[in-house]
Amino acid sequence: MQFSKNWLKDFIDIDLSTEDICAQLTMAGLEVDGFENINSKITGKDSIIKLDITPNRGDCFSVLGVARELAVINNLKLHLPEIPKVHDTFKDSIKIKVCPEGPSYFGRTLKNISIDSKTQPLIAERLKLSDQKLIDPVVDITNYILLELGQPLHAFDRDTLNGNISVRTAQNKEQITLLDDQQVELDSDCLVISDDKGAVAFAGIMGGKETAVSNSTKSIFLESAYFKPSSIRGKARRYGFQTDASLRFERGVDFKIQELALERASALLKETVGGDFSSVASSSLKNQFPKHKEISLDLERSNKILGTNISKKSAIRYLEGLGLDPKSSKKNSVSVVSPSWRYDINIEADLVEELARLEGYDSLPLQSLAPVYKKAKLDNANHLSQTLVSKGFNEIISYSFISEQDHLLFGQGEGTLKVENPISQNMTIMRTSLVSGLVNTYLHNLNHGQENQKLFEAGNIFIVKNSKKASEKKIIAGLMSGKISESTWKGKSQDISFYDLKGVVQDLLSKAEGTFSFEENNLDFLHPGMSSNIKHKNKVIGFIGSLHPSHLDSLGLKKDLFIFSLEIENLSFESTKTYKQFSKYPTSSRDLAFIVNKTVNAGDIEEVIKSNAGESFKEIQIFDVYEGKGIDEDKKSLAISVTWQSLNDTLKDSDIDDAVTKIVNSVKNQLDGELRV
Amino acid sequence: MNLEALKQTISDLKSLSKSQFGQSTLQSELDDLYRSFLGKKGEVNLLLKSLGSMEPETRKEAGKLLNILKSDIEADYLELTSSLTKAANQEKLAKEKIDISLPGLQSKKGSLHPVSRTIQDICSFFERMGFDIEAGPEAEIDYYNFEALNVPKDHPAKDMHDTFYLNNSGLLRTHTSPVQIRTMEKSEAPHRIICPGKVYRKDSDLTHTPMFHQIEGLVVEEDASFSQLKGLLNDFLEDFFGEEVELRFRPSYFPFTEPSAEADIRWNKNWLEVLGCGMVHPNVLEGVGVDTNKYTGFAFGLGVERMAMLKYDIPDLRAFFENDIRFLDQF
Repeated sequence: MQFSKNWLKDFIDIDLSTEDICAQLTMAGLEVDGFENINSKITGKDSIIKLDITPNRGDCFSVLGVARELAVINNLKLHLPEIPKVHDTFKDSIKIKVCPEGPSYFGRTLKNISIDSKTQPLIAERLKLSDQKLIDPVVDITNYILLELGQPLHAFDRDTLNGNISVRTAQNKEQITLLDDQQVELDSDCLVISDDKGAVAFAGIMGGKETAVSNSTKSIFLESAYFKPSSIRGKARRYGFQTDASLRFERGVDFKIQELALERASALLKETVGGDFSSVASSSLKNQFPKHKEISLDLERSNKILGTNISKKSAIRYLEGLGLDPKSSKKNSVSVVSPSWRYDINIEADLVEELARLEGYDSLPLQSLAPVYKKAKLDNANHLSQTLVSKGFNEIISYSFISEQDHLLFGQGEGTLKVENPISQNMTIMRTSLVSGLVNTYLHNLNHGQENQKLFEAGNIFIVKNSKKASEKKIIAGLMSGKISESTWKGKSQDISFYDLKGVVQDLLSKAEGTFSFEENNLDFLHPGMSSNIKHKNKVIGFIGSLHPSHLDSLGLKKDLFIFSLEIENLSFESTKTYKQFSKYPTSSRDLAFIVNKTVNAGDIEEVIKSNAGESFKEIQIFDVYEGKGIDEDKKSLAISVTWQSLNDTLKDSDIDDAVTKIVNSVKNQLDGELRV
Repeated sequence: MNLEALKQTISDLKSLSKSQFGQSTLQSELDDLYRSFLGKKGEVNLLLKSLGSMEPETRKEAGKLLNILKSDIEADYLELTSSLTKAANQEKLAKEKIDISLPGLQSKKGSLHPVSRTIQDICSFFERMGFDIEAGPEAEIDYYNFEALNVPKDHPAKDMHDTFYLNNSGLLRTHTSPVQIRTMEKSEAPHRIICPGKVYRKDSDLTHTPMFHQIEGLVVEEDASFSQLKGLLNDFLEDFFGEEVELRFRPSYFPFTEPSAEADIRWNKNWLEVLGCGMVHPNVLEGVGVDTNKYTGFAFGLGVERMAMLKYDIPDLRAFFENDIRFLDQF
């Protein structure tokens, strides 16, 4: 809301600079968006003050409301403008009927008005300074009252109304064309103003087109009503708009101000458009008005919460200023009833805030919180991130919603969680893997000349199983492409291979509890011959692999992309370490080269060797893999170093020879492998 | 051989070894010479072996003399070895001067995203204060995101959050506050928790991204007070920025706190909003079964990107999600 600063002077004799007023309002909780000093021909040296009113302070959506706050802060008297009573010359034939959702309605007819008169200059200027368009004197004056008193008014063209007026809920799918030409089909929980023929206004939100005031209007029917916030809330938004009226009604309008607002409008209209005024027709269901119960404030408790020492006397002064009508009850208690314009004071905590506000938040004391010992917990994601950073990976953060297209390329699983109201069509699907974010980031950086990239992201993926119930998994995933390291003056670096990727993942898992195995997988976006699942406790917890060549093609990429993904929550790094005795005796090693079919995996040979190497077996290391000249086309050579060590004594050559014989025989029998000589 | 002849031989050997040692310039030469005197088949050994033919009384004297000769040659050898080594090293050093200005072979450093770094910084302060780090789902339901936080259906406060709705009738959480509710539901008061995470709002312009990060803190204790809230946040901001900050609290509105406040810091002369906070609304506490006669609580929430922008002087919010390596490498 914005308004002319000088307008405030209609209500309070305030003599402060705009800066001071804004500072006071800010510290009272009315956020000042800004102010602008102006020189107006009509209002003189003035300022435009813009406020950002929080939803709880509907009462401050008017100059009166803001003036009331300033009056309390500065201990000033608030006075309402003088309202001369308009002489009525006839009785209105319209009868009014209200309902519980809209329990109060005042209206009157104005006949023979001159709609082509000019809005008074002060009103016109103030409206302009409030960024309100001038329309005609009738609409201008209703807008003026809305800004001045916070009461939305509505004027109907009297000659278009048929019979009596009632406030009622809409019939299901009842249609109405609104002032701004939009046609809406109302739900049965919407409130309408209706004449005998049907809805003439979307109550509290916008008037109907058919009954609107036009430049040929001769008589009007002026409405000043109270609608319950609950019956207005969310309704305009449901149809995709919001009005100055709905904004105020849904936050709560002073339920005692309708008659005053109508009188004020009448007086201003009389001066401007003239005409004959009917008596005021009204209808109210007083028992449907908001019930403002008595609230008790325990001063001892509120002082404890605020860390203050506010005396009963000053508490009463503050509460009185706010119109809360405080009464001293028990020893340390005050009881209050909130005024008709405040909807946000319902419990003791609300009163505590009022005291804090008027005492000044800044003057409330400061007290350090005493630390409490807690056992530190290791965060898996942080731990893994640190490891990756030390290996040269850059962490990225990408949006959790991705495009349909990216999902088709890199998604996993069956169902997806979709955003119903996405901000763009590229952000519709909640990701089911982190791959698309990594690939898109890779592409962005590649376009900026970064050939060698190591990226990772830690974040949630969204899984939907058949039941439609969504669950989230925390994943850490990475991408590598280009050279292992930057080339230097010492030499060129090698291209990253599958085994660099696998090495990274093995390093990540090296401190984790349990064992991990790499097994074939069938993810569409990975190269079938260069990818693997990661299994732990018989569960697939991730994958590694090279991006599928067809995906590389569709992305226009020439270089291989290597990707890994791991489920973070399935890992545990919490195990406590226990020292194990190491052997003091020398190790013995033998280098063995086997020629096997290409289809035999190194892992298979490792397994055979491990299970046949005897109890002193220590470790195995593959130090060469060779295919080509000197070896049959369908064969390969694997050179393996096997090491033995005993905890108890020095091993004899004969023991090792026996073990080697057993290994060689087993490799021959089980894998058809020949020892290369 | 008699003793006199032996003495002569010893003296000859001594001077011979001295002169021959002195002429050798290579360690290998020296080693050969050494062996020729003191090796198994060396001169000295041969003499020792010949002692057997001597008279017992001269044999003792002869042995003594030969042993002196042995240690003399030994000493000469060691001395010359050491000076040869020295000379060799000197030569090596003279040859081996490299260009120390050539760059070292570094490995490329990785980086933690500034948002993660900021979250870690912030959480570490609160962990030291005894807060537990809690997390919750990002795809939420209305109850945890709004209703349990005292935001009923259609409440105007919902206008403050432009919500993304999901096809399973859920929504993407608009703040990390649902974690408060989930934590209070599953465990008993007192609570000290800090909840970092992603949040989503339907908003995208220069100063808004549809996804960003928040950190929510909650304290529910017997004497939790507004002054503790002020004190804690003051300590936190000082810890975060590493220097004293000018902090201002002003009234604001959040449906789940009462009183509610916004905290501003003085930044380049202007007040800049950095935190929302307040005493937890009794409706929220009662909704999760906390005895409000016994406990009070306070909560606060802050935007991680905003804090990172201030701390690292990052001008553009969108840089966080563009993930340009030239940006990332700086952290």
